[in-house]
Amino acid sequence: MTTNPVQARTRLASTGIDPRSPRFGAGITAVLLLVVIALSLAAPMAGTLAERATAPGFILFVVISALFAWGAAAGVKRHPYGAVFRALARPRLSPPRELEDPAAPTFAQGVGFVITLVGIILHLAGVPFAIVVAASAAFIAAFLNSVFAYCLGCQLYVLILRARNARGAAA
Amino acid sequence: MNPLLITAILVGLVTVSTVIGLMWRGAQGRVRRSNGETIVSSQALGVDLPLSDITLLQFSSPLCAPCRATHVVLNSIAGQREGVEHVEIDLSERPELASEFRIAQTPTTFILDRDGVVRARIGGALKRDAVIAEIDSILVTA
Repeated sequence: MTTNPVQARTRLASTGIDPRSPRFGAGITAVLLLVVIALSLAAPMAGTLAERATAPGFILFVVISALFAWGAAAGVKRHPYGAVFRALARPRLSPPRELEDPAAPTFAQGVGFVITLVGIILHLAGVPFAIVVAASAAFIAAFLNSVFAYCLGCQLYVLILRARNARGAAA
Repeated sequence: MNPLLITAILVGLVTVSTVIGLMWRGAQGRVRRSNGETIVSSQALGVDLPLSDITLLQFSSPLCAPCRATHVVLNSIAGQREGVEHVEIDLSERPELASEFRIAQTPTTFILDRDGVVRARIGGALKRDAVIAEIDSILVTA
């Protein structure tokens, strides 16, 4: 006998995605973030706001951030990397053994957007190495997701719950 | 910055990420025996615990793909073994339990004995054989 309160899973058959698709996308993101880090380290921190806003590493970082925002807002199913996966990778692979709920990778896209947005704001404000630090944090998350199927939502969600509980207890 | 130094930093970042990933993967599904001090009651849980020899108590969350795989494994073990039951709790419905039982990730599975004592806890996606071995060792000593 079993007790299952998570009823959302019954919808999975119709709404689930191939779990390899977000990992494929995270791989592309991880490589692009390495390029951002290399470009940002190669170019000295520019003096004026206009110069900072037009640095090549920064522009690529903004594009990555915008893609995170797209994935978080439109859902990971409508992410452009998902279309690339379906067109290029999926036909060469065997069918997925199981489908995944798109909620978790969509949440991870939101986390990626927040991290990159903080980097963008701090960089424009003139904080040195803001892009390098933010891109490194985002890289670690994307790399772990892509290579190790790390589930960011599984840990972050529980941490947020516990932080809320602690705040509620203290108030 | 010197291109050689930039390359070294990138290689370092990939290496650190790989080490973190390997450590994380190594910890997934590891069965940690408990000292028997934590007791889970139906009252604390807000769910009627079955009166079985072993209860596999799984904590899940909505943003959790491995929770589904863990559900399938535990459900199948409970279906095959007499006296073993599977109970799943969604932490989004009972957030206070995350702090109460110091849960660090979902899925987290507790193996409870007949008295509701937590005999082992397993963080992350679990391995079927490891769970069965733990159940057997608890039943032998019971």
